[in-house]
Amino acid sequence: MATYLIRRLLQGIIVLLAVSMVCFVMFRYTGDPVLMLAGKYATQEEREQVRVAYGLDRPVYVQYLSFLGGAVQGDFGKSYVSQISALRMILERFPATFELALVAISISFVLGVGLGVVVSIKPRGWLSRIIMAGSLFGISIPTFLIGILLVMAFSVYLGLMPSFGRGDTVQIGFWRTGLLTASGWYHIILPALTLSGYQLAVLIRLTRAGMRETLSEEYIKTAWAKGLAPHTVVLKHALRNVMIPIVTITGLSFGELIAFSIVTETIFQWPGMGNLLLTSIFETDHPVVVTYIMLAAFIILTINILVDVLYAFLNPRIRFD
Amino acid sequence: MKTIMQSRRMHSFLGDPSAILGLIILLCFLFCALFAGMLAPMNPYDLASVDLANFLLPPSWMDGGMNAFPLGTDDQGRGILSTILYGLRTSLIVSVSVVTISSIIGIVLGMLGAYYGGLLDAFIMRAADTVFAFSTTLIAVLLLGMFESRGLGTVILAICIADWVKYARTIRGSVLEIKNYPYVTAAIASGARDFRILFRHILPNALPPIFVVMAVDMAVVIMLEATLSFLGVGVPLTEPSLGMMIAIGKNYIYAGMWWMVLFPGLTLIAMVVGINLFADWLREELNPKL
Amino acid sequence: MMRKLFVVPLLTLALAALPALALAKAELVIATDAPPKSMNPHAYSSDANLSYMSNFFDGLLQRKAPEGALVPALATSWERVDDLTWKFDLREGVKFHNGNDFTSADVKFTFERMKDPKYSKLLNIANSIASIETPDDYTVIFTTVKPVPWFAETMHQNFIVDAESSADRDDGDYNTMPIGTGAYKLDEWVKGSYVRLIANPDYWEGAPTYQVVDMRPITEESTRFAALAGKQVDIVNGVPVNLYERVKAMDHVEVISQPARRAIYMDISNMADTPFADLRVRQAIAMAINEEEIIEKVMSGQATLAHQIPDPPTIGYDASIKRLDYDPEKAKQLLAEAGYPDGFPITIAGPNDRYVNDEKICEAVAKYLAKIGLDVTLDVKPKSIFFDELADKKHRFYLIGWFDGSFDFGRSAEKLLHTPDDAKGMGVYNGAVFSDAGIDEAIIASSSIIDRAEREAALQAINRQSVADVAWIPLHYQQDLFAVVKDKDITFMPRSDRWVVVKEIK
Repeated sequence: MATYLIRRLLQGIIVLLAVSMVCFVMFRYTGDPVLMLAGKYATQEEREQVRVAYGLDRPVYVQYLSFLGGAVQGDFGKSYVSQISALRMILERFPATFELALVAISISFVLGVGLGVVVSIKPRGWLSRIIMAGSLFGISIPTFLIGILLVMAFSVYLGLMPSFGRGDTVQIGFWRTGLLTASGWYHIILPALTLSGYQLAVLIRLTRAGMRETLSEEYIKTAWAKGLAPHTVVLKHALRNVMIPIVTITGLSFGELIAFSIVTETIFQWPGMGNLLLTSIFETDHPVVVTYIMLAAFIILTINILVDVLYAFLNPRIRFD
Repeated sequence: MKTIMQSRRMHSFLGDPSAILGLIILLCFLFCALFAGMLAPMNPYDLASVDLANFLLPPSWMDGGMNAFPLGTDDQGRGILSTILYGLRTSLIVSVSVVTISSIIGIVLGMLGAYYGGLLDAFIMRAADTVFAFSTTLIAVLLLGMFESRGLGTVILAICIADWVKYARTIRGSVLEIKNYPYVTAAIASGARDFRILFRHILPNALPPIFVVMAVDMAVVIMLEATLSFLGVGVPLTEPSLGMMIAIGKNYIYAGMWWMVLFPGLTLIAMVVGINLFADWLREELNPKL
Repeated sequence: MMRKLFVVPLLTLALAALPALALAKAELVIATDAPPKSMNPHAYSSDANLSYMSNFFDGLLQRKAPEGALVPALATSWERVDDLTWKFDLREGVKFHNGNDFTSADVKFTFERMKDPKYSKLLNIANSIASIETPDDYTVIFTTVKPVPWFAETMHQNFIVDAESSADRDDGDYNTMPIGTGAYKLDEWVKGSYVRLIANPDYWEGAPTYQVVDMRPITEESTRFAALAGKQVDIVNGVPVNLYERVKAMDHVEVISQPARRAIYMDISNMADTPFADLRVRQAIAMAINEEEIIEKVMSGQATLAHQIPDPPTIGYDASIKRLDYDPEKAKQLLAEAGYPDGFPITIAGPNDRYVNDEKICEAVAKYLAKIGLDVTLDVKPKSIFFDELADKKHRFYLIGWFDGSFDFGRSAEKLLHTPDDAKGMGVYNGAVFSDAGIDEAIIASSSIIDRAEREAALQAINRQSVADVAWIPLHYQQDLFAVVKDKDITFMPRSDRWVVVKEIK
């Protein structure tokens, strides 16, 4: 186990290094940051001053090494646009994204598994058919369209829900939360539904597939035969086994969640990391984009390793070697 | 043997109304996309034929609508119906190209990796881990964000960079299994060349799961292209795809101009649902352990 | 199971915390169309950023709404002593937000800091200063490198920072926490959400009317509309043009539409070996564009036809100048005469996130040019990339906007019209590379004329010639749209530079 963990960590670090290198190389060929830094009215001489001031006159590998050296100490450089530490800018936005993702995951998990169980108990009932049809649409509508349709229906035509922002927020230490105010909850509903949509549909389908397989296994048949109450059989015996792959897949699809949070945050002007990323992409604010990518990579890899460990924990039959 | 297989398969297909519906939808859209130039009342991608005077018209059955533009027009005077037809073409071009290119790359690399092992295999596995962790969507968004110029080609490239891994991983699993089948080991023992073994003996048997992945991937790529164009890192402005049409229309939903979002949106959903219906049947039918 | 894990405790926590939280509410909420990039007043020269800064900082001078008349601020009087020398007398008794006194040392420090590219994008004006003398605490004398007739005209946007605290402040802090002399102090900057301002009770002009003010940057047009419809904001700076009728129809809102200073125009090259070298081609392109239709359709009528680049209050504006009329047939004929009966390939470049409906205007222009037979490629992109490309002189024909903050066409002409010459700092913004020796000479000559009337005549002549030579194709002046809610008794006078100077709101 320990060797496995160390190997995973090493792999993670290699991936991070590879990611950082790709970012760095890409940026060398996508426009000159000096023009961005010096402003559009600057003369050639002023640009040269800037180039030297930011160390952009050094060889590429030196710049890369100094970037890595900084990154190890948590210094990813300053945003070209605002001259504020890129990491700080992103971390300030982190709580908004995290809360959105958390609520979205909760929705898709509770509803997805719940509806999946309903469907697997009575696969031919009308309710099940509606749910399955719904899940088919769920995987067929891109996230951005879900968001726009929700805004159109609930904000524009019905006028029921707010269509942008986090509402009132409260600062607790470094964390700014919207989950402690009524307005915060009111504002998070539509974006969270949008973000959860796809995963919800996937989870219904996964639960159904898993349950279908499990329910046909011998020990479940034995349980039925023993005359156990249906909810005991379904929830305690069958679902528990189905949960393992579901938890794993939810954890592993975190990258997808982050990707779709970019879309969701754009539609709802949610002041999170994804929104910042897109702005920074359009402003060619390289340090912020690189920091975002590195941070996303770090979070995703960490979660993957955690999920693996959890998986081994839940399922002792798995051995790592 | 083969004809029996096919007839059984055909029988199962005919017995599944949703699969038939899916295929019909898909074929309809394919038809529309192929003959967009003839079906569309105008060519929305031809700047000279678009007239700003006709901007923001509602569908023809509403007050102020014009018969020349059955589903209304957008903010540049492009007919929504025509743009949808041309947009479908863009969606399908991207989707078919990505699926073709990445499946070929994935199949070849995956097979070679699984058959020979070694460095190539290790690389494929690491790439697969990375891509699965990040998701194709995130990688494509970030890549396009870094590209300086964007267009149909760069969209296809950006998606392919991540997408081939799916195929490599799928085929790798099959090849590793098939490699040990008696008839393969027999072929190896008889001194057949590697190339022959791979493409004559292993590949045909490893393909069924790939077909399922391809079908699902088609839907996924269509949605991905729409998402990228929606975010503004996809197709060029003068040649809007369905995703960009929705992005343009988004600015007008508060002005009550729902047709700019709803029609392309419904088209997109219908197309993806159609493909998914068919893919679901295929998955049940070929029953690969994915 | 999950429900118990997450939702229940969170909800309980939320409910328990609700009564305890008395949220500070702003008395006034202002929606703008762009977020601040930095709280360093010299970090960004965009009007959006300067607008925020004008609340935390003062310049030596200021401009008053609505016309932008130049009046004293931190300086009480000023004069141009000779060609190169400018003298400012400073206001006494002004204090920075941190309690430090404002003196000439702060002014000197500010302009020296503005020369440092690490802190400043206002290098142009800073580098035109040769030396700064401070004979006493309340007098500053600037000497410029070359004659800069509009030197004082920029003093409303060169904001003065505190020398004592700024010199050794951490960069991160300097860029996020403004310490100025302004009417408001920064309370909170929640990026992506709002900037909260608190009144400065000791302000030298008297404390402002509103105590707590939120400025909410909402970049998305339709979202700005939603915020107004949902009564979440009191003032909107930048009502979306496409939703103008809708906003006007709202009962609780008053819409103010006023001509903006910014002219939108197509910049065009006359570089040799390009089709643009021929005047007839440039004229043909100008005649192909149906600007009136663009105003009516793309701009929803919210723009004014432009015949020239400067706007009426600018020195050098000439009311007699007329643009070429829309005439596609004549345009085709001119193209044929110039030897391009079948057109030629042309790329229309432009930003897609800078001006009102910029990319749609480019698209419309593309269509008009396609209709006279040109083979058009549209190349619009985010402003950050686009302006980089301009600096590289990559495009021969592109859409851009301009207004001269100094109200002086001489300054505009030096930057936009003069042949690019990096060594002299001329034509830095002439990305299409239009070059005419006669115009260059006239521009240089005009900068040494001190007599105002004489200078105005010289500038008007340059202006006339630029339009006659089709050095650019003026499209329209933007219209600025503001919305104010009615029932709150807010007196808001929009400024021509679109800054939101909160102390002016009563």
